Amino acid sequence: MKIIISGGGDVGVYLAKLLEQEFHDIILIDIQKEKLEFVEKNLGIATVLGDSTSYKVLKEAQVEEADLLISVTSIESTNIISTLIGKKMGAKYTIARINNMEYLIDKTTLDLRDLGIDDLISPESLAAREIKYILKSPALTETFDIDGGKLTLMGLYLDRDSPVINQTIAETSYLNPDKLFMIVALNRKGKTIIPRGNTKLYQGDHVYFISKEEGKNKVLAYAGKKPLQIKNVLVVGGSRTGKYIAHRLSKYYDIKLIEKDQEKSNFLALNLPKVQIVNGNGTDVSLLQEEGIKNYDAFVSVTGNAETNIFSCLVAKELGVKKTIAMVENIGLFDHSQKIGVDTLINKKLAAANFIFRNIQKGNVFSHLYGIDAEIMEFTVKKNSRISQKPIMELDLPENVVISGVIRKDKGYITLGDFHLKPNDRVMVFALQQSMKKVEACFK
Amino acid sequence: MNLIPHKKKETFRMLFKQIGGVQIILGFILFIPMIVSIIYGEYYSALGFFVSSIIILFIGYALFKFNDPVPEPLSRHALIIAALGWMSIAIMGSIPFMITAYITPPDILNQFIPSGAEYTSSLQFFKNPLHALFESMSAFTTTGLTMAVHEPSIGKGLIFYRSLAQWIGGAGFIVLSIAVFRQSSGRAAMLLYGSESSGERLQPTIIDTSRSIWKIYLGLTLFSTLFLIIGTYFILPDYSFKENIFDSINHAMTGQSTGGFSTLDDSIAGYNSKAMEMLYLFPMILGALSIPFYFKVIYEKQFNQFWKNIQTRSVLLFSIIGGIILSFLLLKSGFETEPFRKGIFQFVSALTTTGWQTADINGWDSSSVVFIVMGAMIVGGAAGATVGGIKIIRVLLILKGVQWHINGYFVSDNAVQVVEFNQKRLLPEEMNKELASAATFSFIYLLLVLISTLITYYYMGDGYTITEALFESASAQGTVGLSCGITGPSMSPVLELTYFFQMWIGRLEIIPVLVLLRTIIWGTKPKVV
Repeated sequence: MKIIISGGGDVGVYLAKLLEQEFHDIILIDIQKEKLEFVEKNLGIATVLGDSTSYKVLKEAQVEEADLLISVTSIESTNIISTLIGKKMGAKYTIARINNMEYLIDKTTLDLRDLGIDDLISPESLAAREIKYILKSPALTETFDIDGGKLTLMGLYLDRDSPVINQTIAETSYLNPDKLFMIVALNRKGKTIIPRGNTKLYQGDHVYFISKEEGKNKVLAYAGKKPLQIKNVLVVGGSRTGKYIAHRLSKYYDIKLIEKDQEKSNFLALNLPKVQIVNGNGTDVSLLQEEGIKNYDAFVSVTGNAETNIFSCLVAKELGVKKTIAMVENIGLFDHSQKIGVDTLINKKLAAANFIFRNIQKGNVFSHLYGIDAEIMEFTVKKNSRISQKPIMELDLPENVVISGVIRKDKGYITLGDFHLKPNDRVMVFALQQSMKKVEACFK
Repeated sequence: MNLIPHKKKETFRMLFKQIGGVQIILGFILFIPMIVSIIYGEYYSALGFFVSSIIILFIGYALFKFNDPVPEPLSRHALIIAALGWMSIAIMGSIPFMITAYITPPDILNQFIPSGAEYTSSLQFFKNPLHALFESMSAFTTTGLTMAVHEPSIGKGLIFYRSLAQWIGGAGFIVLSIAVFRQSSGRAAMLLYGSESSGERLQPTIIDTSRSIWKIYLGLTLFSTLFLIIGTYFILPDYSFKENIFDSINHAMTGQSTGGFSTLDDSIAGYNSKAMEMLYLFPMILGALSIPFYFKVIYEKQFNQFWKNIQTRSVLLFSIIGGIILSFLLLKSGFETEPFRKGIFQFVSALTTTGWQTADINGWDSSSVVFIVMGAMIVGGAAGATVGGIKIIRVLLILKGVQWHINGYFVSDNAVQVVEFNQKRLLPEEMNKELASAATFSFIYLLLVLISTLITYYYMGDGYTITEALFESASAQGTVGLSCGITGPSMSPVLELTYFFQMWIGRLEIIPVLVLLRTIIWGTKPKVV
């Protein structure tokens, strides 16, 4: 597959990196020479220097042969025009990153899809969506619904109170008598492990579960997390992301938003009627106390500065807020700050890149979990397939692969060893990257 | 934009030219009551209108022509033009009353008196220039207080003139002159337009806006006329059809302009019919709703404005609730035999500042009088309509402000506390500004009513109390026109002059008059206060 990415910012580069691992043929376009040099040196990706709204530049990138054109520069109009031109010049599928939510919501005035942009993405709204999911079940670090919630992928940290630590997974099966969920992967000290029955669980493990709808609460009980109901949220930072988050969450929670800039506060106050806007500095502890931070269930810091966000989340944690979420746009910092003490970190560029990545791999890869070298993929079992002959434990699956759930006739199933696959089952497979190719071979 | 201050002489010439323009319109308007006089065979009245028209046209044309060309008015001049323009209209408009009063021979005068009546013609009162001025001011400001004790005895021509004056005064002379002359450029026209009414821009240009206003106003009046003719015909089938048409045209004009002059001696009570009083509630409420509201309903088909528009909703709600409360107060006092009939009609008449009267308010107990003053006459109808008073929107804004202020104690100092008012969201500083201007206006308004109450108390005749003084003063200030009997040809000239100025101030919403005063005392130069 030939893919052109316009924009060498964080989204573009991260996306290029993800796609390159899938052996796609990638060309990156950017107007800054230094950025391209960096990419060529570190990722070995072909590049074209220039503005992607130019015919010449697009031609140089051989857009007429491209299967996919993704424009993710920071400038919205560039993205829209590039994809429009690219489509006209022969790109098969186009995706543009936008900032103006009106384009996404209001399709009656102008449907950009009609004009030739096949998909629109907005990092801000993706970040808002991610936070919405996290607040819905605050004990989790990640949650991802598969096929409208028939199965759910959930991530959480095991802490000291968890009843399962220092036991093997097999030993804890009494906590899961109805087989409503299973552990599919865990991350220990930066290393991804696809677990077996004899894998031991330790404090601090980042564990990923796959669960049926009715098993979600059981997962929390299994890990020893108390159910926590979020009622009110304190948001710091009123930039675009903060605005979307406050707007989206105001339907479900009481929201207070703290913004430093007077003009921005006024703008937000006029446009977000259900949100209480406070004009002040979100890192000022006395201001936070004055605003009653102790009474808040969740604290979301989304200012433009990652350090500020992490710091104010730590302060909030110290002051007794149960759930803290920090936006960390600096990817370097993101890698190393998971363990500092903030409950969840979000990165809207990663969110956008993951979203696009998921879209490209349609019918194949479902989710790419950051910091985990495994992917969850979906396959359909064909008739007379080898793998539908025996129960799962008797199949000789490659190492580091786990079959982690099946959707059969619109119902989700958890697939422990005795499960028997049938034709037309949609199978979720969790696999380390190096085992991907072997998994694909199994389903052929 | 021309920001260079004019020379003193040029300023004066510019003012005179604007006033001249308004006079020319008035001069032509006088031809209409002249024709009515001829139709009814009142040739002396017709002559009176003709002579007045010539005099006014001559003065107006002279002012207009000899002061051309002049620079365009600046923002500080717009309000002065409005104040002076209205004063000049009231003065010039009194000429037909005086001339007709002097030239009509006594035997003709006696023909105006309805057969069997025991009084002399009220026309003779207008020989006194002060009475003529008062009547003219009361007419053009849509007040409705009158020196014509027995209306039918001044002749059909003059009755029609009074009604027409209220009708034109209601929509506004400045708006009319903009629509007719198209003399001023956009900016100057906008300034003038804003000086007289609430200044909402309905069409892209001010000329189109003022034309739309007149179209809507005319349409509503025609509708109201038909409504009254048909209603009267069905309720009082024995009533002379000729009289019906004359009454309905006049009452439609004075109802739409919320003026409240009547063709009958006893106002609407003269019909002696409960059904007729109910019929007449409709034109009053029609007149109390704002023109921009009608514009949105008629031109833009926004029918949800009936409940979305805060002013329309409030006028309707206030009418019902206030009418019922007043009725209960009257019921308790036991003075009126039909407290609900009188209470509801009088409350609506006061709230809409129309001033049609069906009750003998002089006999009411103090609580009813004070309630109608506070709850209706001082409040008034919707801004953007032809009503007087503080206007409902300001009252609601101040109430909202109180709520906002109290609520402020429950949120932190740093919170940006937005106010939602009249389908708009206001930031704290915007709200403060709006609140300050509404509160200042209301304060001056109430202060003027109180001062005038004291003057009334000092100069009114025997047999009246301080509550009645308050009532009469609020009626003049709010251009309502209800009277408990203090106003009449025999009143003290000091009091008559007080009300004369009060009506002027009330019509213009105070500020233009204060600007004029400031100009007279300190000139137009900016200074530190």
